[in-house]
Amino acid sequence: MADSASEYVTLISHDDYEFIIPRSAACISGTIRRMLDPSSKFSEGLTGRCKLDDMSGVVLEKVCEYFCYHEKYKDQTNVPDMDIPPELCLELLMAADYLDT
Amino acid sequence: MYDTPPPIKPTHIDILRANRRQQARAIRGPQSALTDFLASNNISARQIQDDYANRQAEAARQANETQRQSVDAEQARSPSEPNSPEDLIKKRKRQQAIARIKNSKEFAKRKARLNGNDDPDYDDEDLANEIHEERQRPQPGQLANCEICEKRFTVTPYSKAGPNGGLLCPDCSKKHKADEKKPPAKKRATGNIGRRQNQANLLDGLTPHGTQSLLETCIKKVADYIHDVEDFGDLPPSLLLRLGQILSRRRAVTSKTLDLFLRPQYRSIDLFDCAKLDTDDFHKILASMPHLTRVNLRFTTPLKDEIIQYMVDRDMQIKDLHLDGPNLVTDACWRLLFMKLGHRFLSLKLWNLNSAFDDETTQVMCTHCPNLQRLKLKFLHRTGNGTLEAISTLQSLEHLSLHYLKETEIDPKHLLTIVDNVGPRLKTLSLEEFEFADDSLLQLIHEKCHSLVKLRLSKNFTFTDKGLAAMFTNWPNKALTYVDMNSLRDVDMTNPNGPEEPIGLASSGFVALMEHSGGKIQHLNVASCRHIPYQAFEQVFAEGKVYPELKYLDISFCPAVDDYIAMSIFRCCPALQRLVVFACFNVRDIHIPRGLAVIGTVGATVKIDGVAQTETV
Repeated sequence: MADSASEYVTLISHDDYEFIIPRSAACISGTIRRMLDPSSKFSEGLTGRCKLDDMSGVVLEKVCEYFCYHEKYKDQTNVPDMDIPPELCLELLMAADYLDT
Repeated sequence: MYDTPPPIKPTHIDILRANRRQQARAIRGPQSALTDFLASNNISARQIQDDYANRQAEAARQANETQRQSVDAEQARSPSEPNSPEDLIKKRKRQQAIARIKNSKEFAKRKARLNGNDDPDYDDEDLANEIHEERQRPQPGQLANCEICEKRFTVTPYSKAGPNGGLLCPDCSKKHKADEKKPPAKKRATGNIGRRQNQANLLDGLTPHGTQSLLETCIKKVADYIHDVEDFGDLPPSLLLRLGQILSRRRAVTSKTLDLFLRPQYRSIDLFDCAKLDTDDFHKILASMPHLTRVNLRFTTPLKDEIIQYMVDRDMQIKDLHLDGPNLVTDACWRLLFMKLGHRFLSLKLWNLNSAFDDETTQVMCTHCPNLQRLKLKFLHRTGNGTLEAISTLQSLEHLSLHYLKETEIDPKHLLTIVDNVGPRLKTLSLEEFEFADDSLLQLIHEKCHSLVKLRLSKNFTFTDKGLAAMFTNWPNKALTYVDMNSLRDVDMTNPNGPEEPIGLASSGFVALMEHSGGKIQHLNVASCRHIPYQAFEQVFAEGKVYPELKYLDISFCPAVDDYIAMSIFRCCPALQRLVVFACFNVRDIHIPRGLAVIGTVGATVKIDGVAQTETV
């Protein structure tokens, strides 16, 4: 149970890149929030590790970047859009749709 | 005395001095110490005077001036030239001039400007030289030879300096300018977008703080690079729809981008801008998506009879047909469509038809589309009372939206027939701009319509406040979620406050509306209901009243609204996302809760809760 309350969570891409980010940032994603909800008793919720099988490390890195970007700017006005490399945007779009962010 | 050399361009004072000296020359006496000193340095006063006279003559002639200057400049640049006395004098003068320049304000200014670039080769000396040369250039109005092509031309204030400091003729300066690379456009500072952009974002529903969702950012990015996208892969339909909306808005739906939206396995297609497609493209849509049941195409001006014919020939399974502006389709073809495919139609929405679709076609439609549940007809120029009669025979109708042209003469009794016949089943009733419909319609809605969820009665100047209040009072219909009552007001220019008995939505009507629907209402538009008084707003948004689901509220052009009412609205509507206040000039200084977009404030001071930055929107 200690893990489920931990301040940080680990996101793992299908090619085994691990990203350790603050729980609050990861929970911007509705999907991850539901995965990590301790009351749901999913293994992710208990261990604090989310394996995201349909995302490559590159995409997940960008997703994590967005999480932190969102955290940083949530209380500011007129935030510029995050820069997304064009070649990634379709994959990222699918990822964003899956993650509900 | 001759302590300072005269400037190249003689001034009035210089000429006076010269005259004085000439007078002095007539008297011969002992030589002054200075003359002795100068003579010992191989400088003679005579020489200087002659020199000066020469220069004056030259200034008067002007003709050779530019040439002479370029020679001067050359000599100055190569100090190792043989030191004839004349050269020496010129050099000295030049040095003195440069020394003066170095003390001048202009020099200091330029130096300060240049301090940014640390070019070690570019020292004070160069700068002073540059200024000196600039000062020697001919004045506007004089003639000069072009530095590049040597042509003579008249100097103007706009003449450009050439690469070596001389002036250029207009032709050469044009060429020279083209050669110079333009400095890269100044980048717009991010995070500091202007008021206009703020307003545009608000209208798009973006609140001005926090980041956009990753999804939205990505969709926009994909739309930016749509021409590089070859295939969307298996993008879910909801994303495809959103992408279609963005591309349509940018008018980027073309034959090429269309291919991305064609999915044989999908049953629906939504394209909001088909203006750039041609007949082949429409064929392609229908041919490559044979299972289509829902066709939603807007701006379909290029859609012709043969496309409709194709649908009929293939006996396509279309249930929902939404077309905006297919003006090339003839009445005969519409009738054929309804006769062949009409039995499947569940919803039909048509907008902006002016050359075809008359009352008779509507009758054919109503006969052959018995299952029609949803009907929207907007701006069909050739329809009139006959269409209304026909609609009243539709037995399955649940959603009805009608918007006629203002000029169409409508007998309001047909509306009564419709409400009388189909009213009991209706969930949506939208009647826009039926200006002469009166309280008897409201009365009938009150009696007949008991399942309404959405009600729009707008742009009317006949309904009375009493009639509206009566409709909402003790109405067995459950609370509405969508109410649009915009522009229910009196339109007598000479009496802006309206008659004694209020016309349109006013005090009692508004209160009754909110009493009836307040608990469930999500969308409320009372724009331009000018006769709603301050007291009614106060009463509706009084302390303790809560409208838990209200998300959208439009109170534009309601002059009574002020800061206090606005703040009361924020308090009473916890779920509010958008508040539209165009022309509510008494909204001056408001404190907006987070997540709410207030649209249309003019010069008001707006503070947003929980956001570090405050700004005037």
